[in-house]
Amino acid sequence: MISALSTPDVSVIVIVFNDAERLPRAVQSVLDQTLHGVEAVIVDDCSTDGSFEVAQRLAAQHPGRVRAFQLPENSKGCGEPRNRGIAEALGTYVMYLDSDDELELNACRNMVEAAERTGAELVSGLSTQIYIDTRNQREQPWYRWLYQRHQVLDDVAELPDLFVFDTLSTNMCYRRDFLLDNKLTFVKGLLYEDLLYSAQAYLAADRIALIPNQVYKWYMRQNVAKADKSITNRRDEIRNFSDRIEIHRRIDALLEEKGKTGLRRAKDLKFLKHDIPLYLREFPQHGPKWQHQFAELSREYLATIPYDVFDECQPVHRVCAYLLIKEDWANLLPAIDWLRNPRKTPMPLVERDGRIYFCAEHLDDEIGRRMLDVTEVGFQARSLSESMPRTQLLSWVPQDGNSVKVTARTVNPLGLIPAGAKLSGRLEVKARRKGLQTFTFPVTSFTHQGDYVEWESTLDISRTVRPLGLVDTIWDVWLNLEVDKKKTRPPLSVDQLDLDGDFAARPRLTRLLADRLEPEVSRPGHLAFQLTAVGPAASKGRGLLFDLMSSPAGAPLKRSAKRVLKAGRDLNAADSKVRWYHRAMTRMPVKKGLVVFESHLGKQYSDSPRAIYEEMRRRGLPIHAVWSYEGKKPPKGFPKPGKDVEVVERWSWPYLYALARAEYWIDNQGYPLALRKRPETTYIQTWHGSALKRMGFDMAEYRMQPRHKQDEYQQALDRFDHFVVRTEHDVDTLVRAYRLPESKVLRVGYPRNDALVAARREEVLTGKRERGPLAKELGIDPARTIVLYAPTFREKAPELVLDPVAFAERFGENTTLLVRSHYMQRLAVPRTLKGKVVDVTDYPDITPLLGLADALVTDYSSVMFDYALLDRPMVFYAYDYEEYAGAARGTYFDLREAAPGPFVETQEQLFDAIEEVREGADAYAEKRRGFAARFGEYDEGRAAAQIVDRFFGPAAGTQQKGEQA
Amino acid sequence: MSADAAVTTGRDIFLISNSVDELGGVTTWSHQMARMLTERGHHVHVLGICDTDTPADLGTNLPYPTTTLHPGKVPSPFSPHGLKQRLKVSGYARNAQREAAIRGMKAKLDALFAAARPGAMIIVTQVWAMEFVRLADRKDIPLIGMSHESYEYSKDSSRFARVKKYYPEADRLLLLTQEDADLWILEKLNNVGFMPNPLPVWPEEPSKRETKTVACIGRLDDQKGIDMLLDAWAVAAPQAPGWTLKLYGKGEDEAELRAQCTRLGLDGSVEWMGQTSDVPGALRDSSVFVQSSRGEGFPLALLEAMAFAVPCAAFDCAPGVREIIRDGVDGLLAAPGNTAELARQLVRLTSNQELRDRMGEAARVNVARYSKETILEKWEELFALLER
Repeated sequence: MISALSTPDVSVIVIVFNDAERLPRAVQSVLDQTLHGVEAVIVDDCSTDGSFEVAQRLAAQHPGRVRAFQLPENSKGCGEPRNRGIAEALGTYVMYLDSDDELELNACRNMVEAAERTGAELVSGLSTQIYIDTRNQREQPWYRWLYQRHQVLDDVAELPDLFVFDTLSTNMCYRRDFLLDNKLTFVKGLLYEDLLYSAQAYLAADRIALIPNQVYKWYMRQNVAKADKSITNRRDEIRNFSDRIEIHRRIDALLEEKGKTGLRRAKDLKFLKHDIPLYLREFPQHGPKWQHQFAELSREYLATIPYDVFDECQPVHRVCAYLLIKEDWANLLPAIDWLRNPRKTPMPLVERDGRIYFCAEHLDDEIGRRMLDVTEVGFQARSLSESMPRTQLLSWVPQDGNSVKVTARTVNPLGLIPAGAKLSGRLEVKARRKGLQTFTFPVTSFTHQGDYVEWESTLDISRTVRPLGLVDTIWDVWLNLEVDKKKTRPPLSVDQLDLDGDFAARPRLTRLLADRLEPEVSRPGHLAFQLTAVGPAASKGRGLLFDLMSSPAGAPLKRSAKRVLKAGRDLNAADSKVRWYHRAMTRMPVKKGLVVFESHLGKQYSDSPRAIYEEMRRRGLPIHAVWSYEGKKPPKGFPKPGKDVEVVERWSWPYLYALARAEYWIDNQGYPLALRKRPETTYIQTWHGSALKRMGFDMAEYRMQPRHKQDEYQQALDRFDHFVVRTEHDVDTLVRAYRLPESKVLRVGYPRNDALVAARREEVLTGKRERGPLAKELGIDPARTIVLYAPTFREKAPELVLDPVAFAERFGENTTLLVRSHYMQRLAVPRTLKGKVVDVTDYPDITPLLGLADALVTDYSSVMFDYALLDRPMVFYAYDYEEYAGAARGTYFDLREAAPGPFVETQEQLFDAIEEVREGADAYAEKRRGFAARFGEYDEGRAAAQIVDRFFGPAAGTQQKGEQA
Repeated sequence: MSADAAVTTGRDIFLISNSVDELGGVTTWSHQMARMLTERGHHVHVLGICDTDTPADLGTNLPYPTTTLHPGKVPSPFSPHGLKQRLKVSGYARNAQREAAIRGMKAKLDALFAAARPGAMIIVTQVWAMEFVRLADRKDIPLIGMSHESYEYSKDSSRFARVKKYYPEADRLLLLTQEDADLWILEKLNNVGFMPNPLPVWPEEPSKRETKTVACIGRLDDQKGIDMLLDAWAVAAPQAPGWTLKLYGKGEDEAELRAQCTRLGLDGSVEWMGQTSDVPGALRDSSVFVQSSRGEGFPLALLEAMAFAVPCAAFDCAPGVREIIRDGVDGLLAAPGNTAELARQLVRLTSNQELRDRMGEAARVNVARYSKETILEKWEELFALLER
């Protein structure tokens, strides 16, 4: 359409070095732009492969749209060719393109449109990395979070992340006169010239526009041989790091000059969290010379970063950077292991004054303590099976080409492995692909050395490990360690040990596939073995097989294998299960006496379903019970499977089969919405708590749903045949919000609260509070006052709102705090507080804990309604009430007015309130009784009995069902 | 800029929808645009793919030509599953008819596009129409696709997949707001822009806000959420003594809604006005406007109310709503479905004359950014961009 351009809208500067093959594709992506007024300015960095000739040919084919230039000598970088391009460009705007990449076809139109609409001098769009050596060309957007929407910045400091993270120059469009006016050029002779250039441009621009559109296709390879890595990805050359540091220094000078301290801070933080770890991950693989140079360079630079920036990092990054400064190799290596394996416990750790430190060194120094404090990680809350103690290979001695003798030591985290513990273990060599073989070797001679346990083992690889030879190329090694019946399973860290030798392998299929097992270091730094073909027969056989699989003849083989795998997946997919449930299972006859129980979606064996179940068992009713659980295995506390009780996984085939044929469903939250209930089944919904917050159709999001969605939800709710309530408040809130008819309401009280009512009666009768066996189980002296802190679950975990150490300091002498939170928001309780602060989050059922506590601290949790039945003091620690009640959902009543206890908002107030409770003041007694009467009017201690009476009778389970609603 | 891109007026513009006269928002919009573009000197041709069962009355003497490409209906495609269906002869016959219809339409479009003068533009207002227009040979004529609904609303519909399939071929895909456009860009459509709907009329005489009336204009159906409005009014009415909620509109849910109104004891403060042909009259008679919809695109009702200087309270249910109303400046928003909050906003407006006046006047000033002239200027800029 346009042949000769006077002033093109955009000049795209295409730089090329020895890439004649791909250059035409890059130029074509410029010519194909939907915006027509675009020219390509090719600059060849003095290639030797004919790239310039290709460029000249393109220029001849597209006169006025393509121009070609060449540098007189090779510049070994990207900066010089781009500088030349700028000098030659004619367009109002300029973009950069590398010869192996492409522009998205609408890139120029979107960039120019945004620039003109906003008046920006610099427009930045999304770059997408495309891995050309992956199946389906995997795409990875480059910092997508910066490019979620159109944005205009009048100062880059408004979005420090942009300045700090997106440091490319290729996904940007610059107004050319802006570049000229500010004399922006790429620096010569340094790697990472983009970093400096983008920083200069960001700082010079008066207005920056961001667009979420993809503008640049950045082609990459996932697996790159070292020699082929693009210049800046070669981190093994020290120049790579020294140039990076030099660039950072120049940017710092620029920031200093412009007085942008906020940006400097953001950049420092990124340097600690990103740049340093990037190099540290590969640190163990480098030689001592590199390591030393690296440490020198980074130490010098890290010294310019103030320690309060370190404070903002995650502990792992803070510890790594600090140990690097101290050049403390012995402790740095475990820290790097932790960096690469965040779930590991990398060190024995040190506890001092209630704080946990990474190592014992450097603690005499205040800065050292600050940097090495890892309390917030919560190592101290991990049991041995939850820790993955770092296990370091100490020696590797191949014996005779068939076996290897290893010694290693395993970290003893915070003394979890006591000196006299009974230790046993095996080394496990396991195929990485799931569901294949595992071989084990005995571990011998454990020695407990305090902070470590040392051991040795001889791996008779050749004789024991029998790979298949085809799909099990990689084998991982794990230590299975048992300490007094507690188990843990860490991998083996190699660090800098040389793994020499390889071992004869005898694949089960045929030795024509592979003949050696070679030790190797896996990506996270662990010992592994790789099956290889070394001998001529094996090399040839393996080669043939791979050729066959990638040939057209192999395609049908691969396809049918995939089809079989897919059929298996499809059968087990949720909707296929639902189909089978409705079409086949629910057509089977109902099984008399089959009762399916579930509590909190299978997360616990607890609450009212449990109380009803236990009442039935007490009466010896001939029922067949099925309890459902969520997860791979039943959580703590579930009944042992037996003749008349099954325990099944939620959503498993046996679960669906039981639901399909059950005579009764009893749960407190809801069986899967997709499952219809057949009319012959009676569903008793016990519910799990009275409501403060709006529920069901009283919630805005349900109200907003279109009618067909609301009808679907209503159908699921209509499955309830009976709905248990404990107060008329429930009828006014829950029953109405779920649009249930009056006939379904079961006014009997909550079965789970029978125990609380009984406890209260007992207490009044005897004038004594019984501690029962639970106190002992939790290791609490029965004479102490027990306070339970049970906050409600929050989506966003707030900062620590209750400091266990401060609590223990003030009340430790005579009061114990039980903390029951969500596992995501678990408080890290230091070991020194044993018996003073106890984490009871894992305890399966809350009701016994309520019975144990002399006072309750909560915020909005429905336990307040239940605990009121005990008539013991409550404190409401509602530090975010405004936020909670004011959110879209809203509440049914104002807790501030109704709360039968002090309403406090700071830890200080909370502690004072607890103090008063301890001293026996009870100003809220009357209000609390009113509260209990209002919200527990039907809780009279016979709820389970009444339900069982009504539906199952005194003894026989075959009695006719209660009336159906 | 090239020489042949210099056309700024007198363009040939093809406005293509599912039907020329199907009752609904898109038709209203198309003919309003056609009229505006014609007044500006462009040569507009309104095209429809086929006939509709629910025609709107467009009046006579339209100042531009209209053409239905395939009078009657276009048969839906037959794609057999299983042996039994594969033997269905009528299915294949239907496909043959469909093919013939498509060939006929393509021939007509090819001829129209071939005859177009340089500077022509094609605007396809609905994605179903795009399925046919894309088959025509449009030479170098730029094609602008449109989606007249919010991203979220498309998401629940088959249109979502079809937009992703057919609209990448358009030179530009227009959404109603930047926010909706950005969401589509995140779906990897890179040709997306946005264009707000224009305000159809500019009232010379706004409301004086002297009556104690809250107005709501909208169909009495699920989408408009009148059930939630009644719940909100039940909370607000006792705090707004003397005020009346006037509901203009009719619809399938009327009986149910009236029953709800009675149940809530609101018969004294709610008036059922039925459908009105005099929207300006209704707005001049009101001092507050309320909208409680479950879903919207770029609601004309709010634009009109604001042009009449009537301050609005509305659920913030779509980007178009928060684009039109600047919360706290020229109207008040409530979180979608939060009837308590909507009630609070209604009470704020009904109880405070000064606030009503301030927001009402601000609304009239601010909504001028959607005036015919401003929006037409944006269209001209877009046409120019597509030629560069």
